[in-house]
Amino acid sequence: MSKTKKKENMIHFTIDGQEVQAKEGWTVLETARHYGIHIPTLCYHEAVQPSGACRLCVVEAREGGRSKVVISCMYPSREGVEILTDTERIRNVRRWILEMLLAECPASKEIAQLAEEYGVKSTRFKSEDPEQQCILCGLCVRACEEIVGVRAISFGSRGVSKHIATPYMIPNQACIACGSCVSVCPTGAMQARMDKVRGDVSQRTGHGYAH
Amino acid sequence: MSNKRKSISIVGKGAKVGVFLCTCGGRVSSKIDLKELEKQIADNSMVSHVEVIPYPCLAPGLDIVKDRIASKGLNRVVIAGCEYRIMLKKIEKELEASSMEKGEMDVVNLRDYVAAVNNGDPATLALKGAKLVNAAVAGLFVLTPSPKTKIGINGPVMILGGGIATYSAAQELIRKNIDTIIAVQTEDIEDEIRMLHERYPGEREYHDRLMKIMEEVDQSPLIKRVSVGELERVLGVVGNYTVTFSSENEKPPLVFNVGAIIAALDGEMLNQGSDFGHDGTRVLCHTEMDEYIWLHGVPPHRIIFWVNDLETDRPYAQLSIRTAWNMARYVRENNALSRVSVLYNNRITLSLSATERGQARNLGIEWISYDGAIRPTVQSGTITYYDPDDHIEHELEYDQLVLSPKRHPGIEQLKVAQILGLHVKEDSFLERNPQMVRPEQVGMDEKFLAGSAYRPCDLREALRQGRRAADKTADIVQLAKKGELYAPRMVCTVDPEKCLGCGLCKEICDCGGISPVEGQGGGIPRVVDPMVCTGGGTCAAACPYQALVLQNNTTEQREARVAVLAQSLADNEVMAIGCNWGGTAAADHAGLRGMPYNERFYLLPVGCIGQLDPTVMGRAFLEGANALLLIGCPPEECHHSYGVDHTWSRVLLIKKLFSLIGLERDRIALAHADFNKPDEYVKTVNSFISRIDQLGPIQRDSEMKAKIQDLYDTLKNPRVRWVLGASLRRPWETTYPADQRNAMAYDETLSDVVMEEFIRTRIVNLLKHKKQVINLDEITHALGEERRKIQSCLTELSKEGMISRIFKDRMPYYTIQ
Repeated sequence: MSKTKKKENMIHFTIDGQEVQAKEGWTVLETARHYGIHIPTLCYHEAVQPSGACRLCVVEAREGGRSKVVISCMYPSREGVEILTDTERIRNVRRWILEMLLAECPASKEIAQLAEEYGVKSTRFKSEDPEQQCILCGLCVRACEEIVGVRAISFGSRGVSKHIATPYMIPNQACIACGSCVSVCPTGAMQARMDKVRGDVSQRTGHGYAH
Repeated sequence: MSNKRKSISIVGKGAKVGVFLCTCGGRVSSKIDLKELEKQIADNSMVSHVEVIPYPCLAPGLDIVKDRIASKGLNRVVIAGCEYRIMLKKIEKELEASSMEKGEMDVVNLRDYVAAVNNGDPATLALKGAKLVNAAVAGLFVLTPSPKTKIGINGPVMILGGGIATYSAAQELIRKNIDTIIAVQTEDIEDEIRMLHERYPGEREYHDRLMKIMEEVDQSPLIKRVSVGELERVLGVVGNYTVTFSSENEKPPLVFNVGAIIAALDGEMLNQGSDFGHDGTRVLCHTEMDEYIWLHGVPPHRIIFWVNDLETDRPYAQLSIRTAWNMARYVRENNALSRVSVLYNNRITLSLSATERGQARNLGIEWISYDGAIRPTVQSGTITYYDPDDHIEHELEYDQLVLSPKRHPGIEQLKVAQILGLHVKEDSFLERNPQMVRPEQVGMDEKFLAGSAYRPCDLREALRQGRRAADKTADIVQLAKKGELYAPRMVCTVDPEKCLGCGLCKEICDCGGISPVEGQGGGIPRVVDPMVCTGGGTCAAACPYQALVLQNNTTEQREARVAVLAQSLADNEVMAIGCNWGGTAAADHAGLRGMPYNERFYLLPVGCIGQLDPTVMGRAFLEGANALLLIGCPPEECHHSYGVDHTWSRVLLIKKLFSLIGLERDRIALAHADFNKPDEYVKTVNSFISRIDQLGPIQRDSEMKAKIQDLYDTLKNPRVRWVLGASLRRPWETTYPADQRNAMAYDETLSDVVMEEFIRTRIVNLLKHKKQVINLDEITHALGEERRKIQSCLTELSKEGMISRIFKDRMPYYTIQ
């Protein structure tokens, strides 16, 4: 009895030609993962809310004769929509994203590897900092707030000088040195930056007096 | 295999455990044969349901988990996938709707402990995974969840301590409509304003606003003002405090029952003494200058404010700069004939706003910086300083030279703090670094502090601190009023039947959550304030009588976990336990980076390495482990109080016992890991395994088995635990136990006590197993210990009534009833 009732609530659509069923509230990415369909992501992590920062999870959504490129991590499942995860159009968008990321963070092995998978070997954009590994996806910021419950790191500045940092660029007392940001970081950026965030932990463990 | 182990003997209480295996998009399923793993786990009689789900952490997977909880009646859930540090919170939140409570769910990291770091055929890795999952299952299987405790705030909020932040806190509480008692030592508001400049000099222009706050507080019907003597005692926990004050003229002491406490404590300003030429008239401090101006008006003098905090090694230069600026401005605004300069060390950055700099220029206040490397010299009427630019010594003339004060939290204030149950260090302000644990793990500071004894500050900051403390208090009072204030799930509780009130837990507890209950003979037994406890649990592991229990995360659970793992390990496999912040986090990181290490390594996570009772370590060896590595945070970086240090002492105890039973001391070791250095973690793992490989497995003949049982029983001995407790590092101590005074003498005492209690345990265990009575010779022969030692133990044991002595043919024989 419950089974038939559930069926009624299901949303039916297709991903890469495969018929899938989703419930109200499941995103396209969640549904795809449930069915074992691979969509690459960078700024997405299961433990925090999606933010759609990196755009790498783009897919093509065809509906009523129209087609548009959407980010699967935030796009809700819709009845009858045709999702395509690996068309030439999508691969092209991803190549553009990866080319920009290669320029943004040339030191990241993870990005270079992903770029190579898509056949991107070099970038036509200007690279500012050869040491940069951070893709500025903000996953660490979200993890710090949502998983840990403190706000030790955040975005500093805006636009081209936007960066991940602690307030005033000094080690932050609010940081509990749990390493969650390092665990979720899609590149090695947070590992390299960690000591600047937590400072000298031995000086400020729970038992220590501030002065 | 030669070492046949006992079958699992673990009893659950109505637990129905469901295990969900995650494929993690191939990151787990490509390395581990999940079908095989599922089969292995299905064989475990403690598991009611097992299933492979693509992503149990995402909405579709969570819906399946919720469905299974409902349809199979599950009440415990293990998800085997990735880091519990990252994922557990989401799972707890999502499964709340399925009435699962914190502590009833666990996440096993198959990805980072097996798939990402070990190479091997998928079926073998599935076996490793099964061992780790089964250990987690056992931990949940034996859990008896504690009932949810609702916290009520019974009584008004009391603000005590008499600091000026009293009034801002009270004003905030009026706005939040909360009943408040203000306990002060003065009769009149006026008195408090009159003496205020001694604590907060140079801020008289703020007094009018303060008066308004005070009047508002005075007139509010929500506020009850009581005049009290000294604070004598504070008993109870958040929601139910009994506060006792002394009273004058031999009247009975004043006793209040209050729900929450805010302590407003003002620090003191001391004069420089005779240093720097201080004489109280020409060379004086901020408070004295303030009083001089108040009594005599602003003098038409040449006044120099010398901010000399750095010269006295005091870090509050910024504060002194503010005070100097406030007073300098007041002087210039009120007497045009005065001339004012502020002399400051060039290592101090001036924290003046642009407007203030403008004001200073208009008023003609000179800011002179001097080279901090060379100390200015005060002479009669002149002060010399060294110019940092031209490197020439200059002289300034003065009529009055104003020095920075020495700041001190105040003896009285520290006494109050101590009565409130805070660890107090002489000369240290009361502010402490925030606990390095997640905010939800810190209950709430029950005694909110505000004022310059908490942290040196100016008047405005003190009042702000008062408002903030009141705000936090109001939050919990309002939650309690709505009936929504619950104690955290993982906090300590005391079994009053077992507790003897020895106070060891209170001494080593850093969060300040343990307080005495008033009883006959003074404060026994103990009680834990669930709103203050951070759930570190090292106190519970130290309790000589095991009367303290970390709820929903008990020693029994940890024993079950290590027992099940130890029973399943092969002879060449090594068990390790890592803490949430050090070992586990570093292992997670090593997995993330895909750094391979020895696949014979099995890591169990634990909240803090200090949670491990010595019995848990002993249990591992009892159930068949050949080695145990404990991986905590780096030294001095324990996130709870002193878990790592306490574990150091506990490991030492096990090593002593190993020597007594003839095992290599190397089989147990403490290691430290920084989560951000996964490469070092890998080195630790591989090095320990190669050390253990050299030792080979423990030869478990019947004698050795009996000896390990004796070792385990000795770890439960209250006397051994008590003597061990004496060496556990206290929050106010700055050194490791080995660096303490009389460390050698203590170590020898511990060895003696351990040896004695070990022999006693052996005798008792021997007599338990013997059907008939036996005599001294037989016991000596069976135990292989010195006859003299055994004889004295036998005499003592029979005196204490632990064993009975009977005479046959006028010869003594021993037995146990």
